[in-house]
Amino acid sequence: MAQVQLIILITSVALVIIGLYSAIFIDNIIKKIIGISFIEEGANLFIVAIGYKAGGVVPILMPEMDTSWFASNAAYPLPFGLVLTSIVIGASTLAVMLALVMVLYKKYGTLSTKVMLADTSKQEEYNE
Amino acid sequence: MNELIPLMVIVPLMAALLISAFSRFNTVTKIFAFVVAICLPIIPIASNYGLHYFGGYEPMLDNVTNVMFHPAITYSFTFLQQIFIAMVGLLTFLVIFIYLTKYKEVSGPYLFLLFLGTAAVTAMLLTDDIFHMFVFFEILALAQVGIVAASSISYSNEMALKYMILGSIGSPMMLLGIGFLLAMTGSVNITDIAAAVHNGLVDATSPVFLMSLALIFFGWLYASGLPPFHTIKSGIYSKAEPHGAALLQSFTVISMISIVLVMFRIYSTLPIFEVLIVFFSILAMILGVSLALTQTDFRRMIGFLAVGELGFIGLGIGLGTQYSITAGLFQALNEITITALLFIGFGAIVNATNEVDTRKLGGLLAYHPKVSIMLLIGGLAMAGVPPLSGFQSKLMLVQASLSCGYPEISILAIVVSIATFVVFVKTYYSMFLKPKPNDLDVEHKEVPRAMIFAMGILLIIVIAFGVYPDVVTNGISNFVGGIL
Repeated sequence: MAQVQLIILITSVALVIIGLYSAIFIDNIIKKIIGISFIEEGANLFIVAIGYKAGGVVPILMPEMDTSWFASNAAYPLPFGLVLTSIVIGASTLAVMLALVMVLYKKYGTLSTKVMLADTSKQEEYNE
Repeated sequence: MNELIPLMVIVPLMAALLISAFSRFNTVTKIFAFVVAICLPIIPIASNYGLHYFGGYEPMLDNVTNVMFHPAITYSFTFLQQIFIAMVGLLTFLVIFIYLTKYKEVSGPYLFLLFLGTAAVTAMLLTDDIFHMFVFFEILALAQVGIVAASSISYSNEMALKYMILGSIGSPMMLLGIGFLLAMTGSVNITDIAAAVHNGLVDATSPVFLMSLALIFFGWLYASGLPPFHTIKSGIYSKAEPHGAALLQSFTVISMISIVLVMFRIYSTLPIFEVLIVFFSILAMILGVSLALTQTDFRRMIGFLAVGELGFIGLGIGLGTQYSITAGLFQALNEITITALLFIGFGAIVNATNEVDTRKLGGLLAYHPKVSIMLLIGGLAMAGVPPLSGFQSKLMLVQASLSCGYPEISILAIVVSIATFVVFVKTYYSMFLKPKPNDLDVEHKEVPRAMIFAMGILLIIVIAFGVYPDVVTNGISNFVGGIL
């Protein structure tokens, strides 16, 4: 395993752990969501690291390149494609979460999850 | 006619986008949504079994390793996919029919979410690509959150956010698990990964492989609503509109079986895999029915019972034999219909009384006899009373656990079924049989005919599967034989 790849993997693990900590233990909903983004980015970084090839080239075949040389030197493109999709999904999820937080902030006037999400199961009114 | 296979995903997906874009034309939107919803159960029935290779990229031979690999996303369509997609299509149609008849002005975004969720579970069932499945798993989570947040029940936004936060932890875990598999096999195609594992190209005892199991398993627990996610899952059911909850539970069941079948194909060589599934399934059965006993809100009660029923599905798959997996998948099919019937039926009661607390209800048998009888049959089917569909699948599960040499599991399954019966009868008595409280106003509202129609259709399926289980089980058994 290349040193760069190892550093990326360690970083991704650190991101996931920091993200998990803030998502579970921090009360502020925005910080919690930032933590969740850390977890997502940690996972993305991990997949990027899988596609890393020491001394490799960008996996775009140019006309002047020899195909066998390209096959043995290009980085593996599949993880990059996956990460691109994953980033889009992560952005969508983040947008929906923040939209919900905006609605709840207007209702409660606070960003504390203890206040916002405390009594969802207690109140069972049906407002139709 | 294999071109119809991708249409099962494309049709609801395009319908969702078009409805969202043109929702200001109310009448056109209603007609369009109705027509597309009718098509949803018809397309899988009209389609032939087979494979669909996106972009026309068929499997190729790797010249270096001399192993076949799939260069593009593949959809696989067999009897199992057909029956489940047809069932979720039918349920989507019934739910949309209820929604369209209930409101004069329909919400485009809400219809968008219903179609989006249907497209997502259909893709999860069809795909042979684990990353493709993850993408639709995320889309499904967004659709589920939207359906809950769009309901008029108080605290639905809070529940939606809670579900989203937990999902946002579960999904990256699953993605990491997929990343581990990609690192080990260089592929995200499930057939290729399974082949690499079974041919010994991947060390099935390596920590990386075990870690991938743990991470994907965590994502599966979240998708299925098995412990520790059982409370939040029953919570979202209770905060969604009743017809939305009927569809949400079908989404849960289908995402559960889609992911577990993928895990089964990849990890079945690991003995711990089946132990884990059986453990969490038993936990779900016990917790689901125990928590249902303590509820006074009947929507939450049905939510917990639904979680308990998920345990039966997991149990069948966890036992790992052809018969038990067939029983588990048949139970999944029955759970979709029975729980949908109960959610719609109890939704009809909410509609008529504006009340969800069983302590404040009573005497409804005289006012809503059709609903009460259909609900009674649905509840008995869930408890496993013959000759209804729930009885057949639970009998198969008990027989499967006995034949696997686990009589204690079969006893537990019977006890949980009896407890389910007790929970349902207790709730049914409170709502329909005990004297009507003086302050309960039930005369001002009729139950919508669309709800009665939907319940009638589901009831016919429940009775038909109970009387003729072989119609389904033979086909499922053939499918299971193919993956073992």
